[in-house]
Amino acid sequence: MKGKKIRIGDIGKNRNEQLLTITGEDVMPLPRALDKGDCQQPIKPLTEEQRDDYECSLDGVSAVAIPKPKSKEEEERLVERFLNGLRKLLSKHDNWTFWQQLLLSLESCVRCQACSEACPIYLSSGKQEIYRPTYRAEVLRRIIKKYMRKGGRFIAKLAGEDIELNWETIARLAELAYRCTVCRRCAQWCPLGSDNGLITHEIRKLFSQEMGIAPKEIHELGTVQQLNTGSSTGITPPALENIISFMEEEIEEKTGKKITIPFDREGADILLLHNAGEFISWPESVEAFAILFEAANISWTLSSELVGYDAVNYGVWYDDVQLARIAIRHAQVAKELKVKKISVGECGHAHKALVVIADRVLTGDLNIPRESALPLLEDLVCNEKVKFDPGRNDFPVTLHDPCNMVRLMGIVEPQRRILRKLCPQFREMEPHGVDNYCCGGGSGFAIMSSMNFQDWKETISGRMKLKQILEAFQDVIDPSIHKYVCAPCSNCKGQIRDLLNSRGAWEKHRIFYGGLVELVVNAMADLGKPFIEWEWR
Amino acid sequence: MFLYVVVVVYYGSIGFCVIASTVRLIKLTSAPLHLRWELYRSSSIYELSDWWNRPQVTFLEKMKSAVLDIIFLRDFYHRNRGFWYFLFLFHLGIYLLILWHVWYLIVPLIVKIRVEPFWDLLWGHVATAFAFLGGLGIFVRRMTDEDLRVYYPPAHYVKWAFMLLTVLGGFYAAHFDFGAFIPTLEDAKFQVYPPNSISIHLLFSSVWLIYLPYSHILRLFFRYYHQIRWDDVPNVRGSAVERKVEKLLNQRVGWSAPHVPHGRKWADFPSEREQEPEG
Repeated sequence: MKGKKIRIGDIGKNRNEQLLTITGEDVMPLPRALDKGDCQQPIKPLTEEQRDDYECSLDGVSAVAIPKPKSKEEEERLVERFLNGLRKLLSKHDNWTFWQQLLLSLESCVRCQACSEACPIYLSSGKQEIYRPTYRAEVLRRIIKKYMRKGGRFIAKLAGEDIELNWETIARLAELAYRCTVCRRCAQWCPLGSDNGLITHEIRKLFSQEMGIAPKEIHELGTVQQLNTGSSTGITPPALENIISFMEEEIEEKTGKKITIPFDREGADILLLHNAGEFISWPESVEAFAILFEAANISWTLSSELVGYDAVNYGVWYDDVQLARIAIRHAQVAKELKVKKISVGECGHAHKALVVIADRVLTGDLNIPRESALPLLEDLVCNEKVKFDPGRNDFPVTLHDPCNMVRLMGIVEPQRRILRKLCPQFREMEPHGVDNYCCGGGSGFAIMSSMNFQDWKETISGRMKLKQILEAFQDVIDPSIHKYVCAPCSNCKGQIRDLLNSRGAWEKHRIFYGGLVELVVNAMADLGKPFIEWEWR
Repeated sequence: MFLYVVVVVYYGSIGFCVIASTVRLIKLTSAPLHLRWELYRSSSIYELSDWWNRPQVTFLEKMKSAVLDIIFLRDFYHRNRGFWYFLFLFHLGIYLLILWHVWYLIVPLIVKIRVEPFWDLLWGHVATAFAFLGGLGIFVRRMTDEDLRVYYPPAHYVKWAFMLLTVLGGFYAAHFDFGAFIPTLEDAKFQVYPPNSISIHLLFSSVWLIYLPYSHILRLFFRYYHQIRWDDVPNVRGSAVERKVEKLLNQRVGWSAPHVPHGRKWADFPSEREQEPEG
C-alpha cells in the first residue's frame, strides 16, 4: 500500500498486505557527519518463517511477536477477548487507575494535529501516517464508538467513520502500540490536554491485562522475572554479592580507595535503588555513587533483598497490576530496612514509577518518602561538600534529558547546574529540558530487540536523538576531540549506545556516552587518575 | 404559535444546558482517584531534597496558569501559531459577545446605567466581526490545510458553517431590527413581540446551548483541576488522598490475563512473592 495515503479504516483491510514499508528514501536525513545514506531497506525484512509464524502486517516489523491464530475460531475468540478488555478499559471499576485520563483524552482531541509535529517517530519516519500520534488514538476511538456505544454501527456508517474490527485490526493495533515510546511530548504539545501517550499505554494495558499479550522482554523476562528472581536482568541475590565484591576491587584499582559498598544496613538514611542493568552494563555508575557517597560521608545502603536491588518497574509501560506489585515490593524492602527515605539512582522510568505514580498505591507505613538522587548530587557539587576540579572534565559534554525525569517529573535544573559547574565545555542539545526528544528507547524499547525491532528503533525511534547529538557536537566533530553524551538514565544509555554504535560514532568521531555521576566523580580533585576511561562498551 | 415554540425551545435549551452540564460535571468529578500521570512545563518540587516537606503549588497559582491558558489559548500560540490567529480572534469575539449580551440584557435589570446606543451597537458589531472572521478562518483552514483535515469529523464542518450562520443572524437582528435601540429584558415590547430575526437567532442559539455541555469547554477545565496535569498533591499518611487510595485498593481486580489475580483485592496481591504460572 506504499505510495497511497493510509486511512484509519485500512487497519482492518487487506490482511495479507503490509500497510507500510519504510525505505531509506522515506526517513528524515541526518547531519552529514553520520549520514551514510540509509540503504533501500534500512529495516531488514523478517524471514519467511517469521512471517508465517508472527503478525507483522502493520509495517513488516515485529516488536510483540504475536503468534498468528491457527483457525478462524481462534481469531473469533481473540476478537471477543479484545472486546471484553475494551469494556474493562472503559469501566470505572476495572480501570480505576487511569479511567479519568483515558476518558478525557478520548473526548478532548480537536484533531489540530499539533501533536504530530511534536512526535519524533512521526517526523523521523518521514511523516508516515500510521506513526502519527493521532492514528492509533483515532483507531481506538472509532472502535469504541462503533462497538461500545448504542447505535454505534449505524452512526459510524452515517458519520463516515466506519472501521472493521477483525483479528487483523487487533493484531496491527497491538503492534502499533509499540511504535510509540510514550515520551508524551505529544501530550505536552496538546492544547486540550489530550494524551496520546496515555492512549498508547492503555492499549498496551488492554492487551497485557486481558489477553496476556506483551513483548517478552518487558513481561516474561521483565516484570515476571524481577518478581520471581529479584531482577529483570536475572541477577539473583547471591550473584549480586559477587558483582559488588568485584566492584569494590575495581574501585580500589582505579582510585586506590578501599571502599565497602554498604548492604542491608538497617536504619541508614538512604536506600539507594539502581537500575540493575547498571550492575552488568555500566558498573562504573554504581561505583561512582559509592565513591562519592563515601567521600561525602553519607549514610546509605543498597539492598540484597529480592526486587530491592533493582529499581526498574517495567509495569509502568504496559500493566498496572505488575506496576503495583513491584512498587509495593520496593516499599516493603525499604520498610524492612527502616531507612528514612528511598533515593532513585540514574533510571528515568524508575523515578516516575516509584516517586510519583506509586504515590497512589502506597499507604500507611509503606508510604516511605521517595526522591530522585539528582538533588543530592547537586547539593554535593554545588555546595562543594566534596572538592572538585572542573579542569578534569575539560571536553565537550552534552546532556540528554530523560523524558521521565524532565517532562514527566519536572527535574530540569539540578543536572544542568552540576554540568555547568563541572564541565567547562557543556553545551545543550536543541530542543532540551521539558521540550526534549526521547532517546528512542523509551517505554521498553531500549531492552526490546527481537526479530527486526532493533533495526526499527535504530532507524526510526532513535533518529531524532542521533541528529540532536551530532548537531550539539558539530563544531568539535573532529575525532581528535573526545566528546561525552551525558544520559542520566540506564535505558537511555542503552539506546544511545546502540544508536552511536550503529553509525560507528565512537570510531569515526570519538563520541562517547555515560551517566552524570561518572562526570561528577571524574572531577573529584583527590582522585589520582581520571575515573572515565574512554573505552567503548 | 411560532413565538411559543421559540420560548419553549429557548428556555428548554437553557434548562438542558444547565442539567446536562451538571450531569457531566458530576460524572467527571466523581471519577475514581487515578494513578498520577502529570506533565511539567518547567522545574517542579521534585528538584528539591525532601520535597514532601516543601510548600506545594497553590490553588491560586494553578488557577492563574489555567485562566491565562484558556483566555489566550497559550498552547496554540506556542505550538500552532498559524491556526492560533483565527482561533484567538474567534474566541475573543465569542467572549466579547457573551459580555455584550450580559451588558445589555442583564446589567440593566440590576443597575440603571445605559450608554449611547451607538457604543452598544459598535461593541456588538466589533465582537461579531471578530467571531465571524475568526470562525471563517478556522473553517477555511480546516478545509484547506492537509494536517487540519486529517481525521476531522465531517459533521464538524457543518458545525462551523452553522456557527457562521448564527453569528451572521445575530448581526442582522441587532443591526436591522434593533437599529439604534437595543432593548433590555425589561422592555415589554421585546418580550411579547420579538422580531422574526430575533426568534430565529434564539432558535440557533438554543442549538448551541444544547451542544455546550458536550463541547471541549468543560473538558478543558478538567485538564487543570482534577488531578490531570499539574497535580503536586502528595499522598500523605492520614490524608483524604490516602483514605481514597485505601478504598480503591480494596476493590477486586476484574482483568483476566493469566498473570492477573482475577477476583483478588489490589491491596492483597502485590505482597505475593511468586507469580502465578503463565497459562
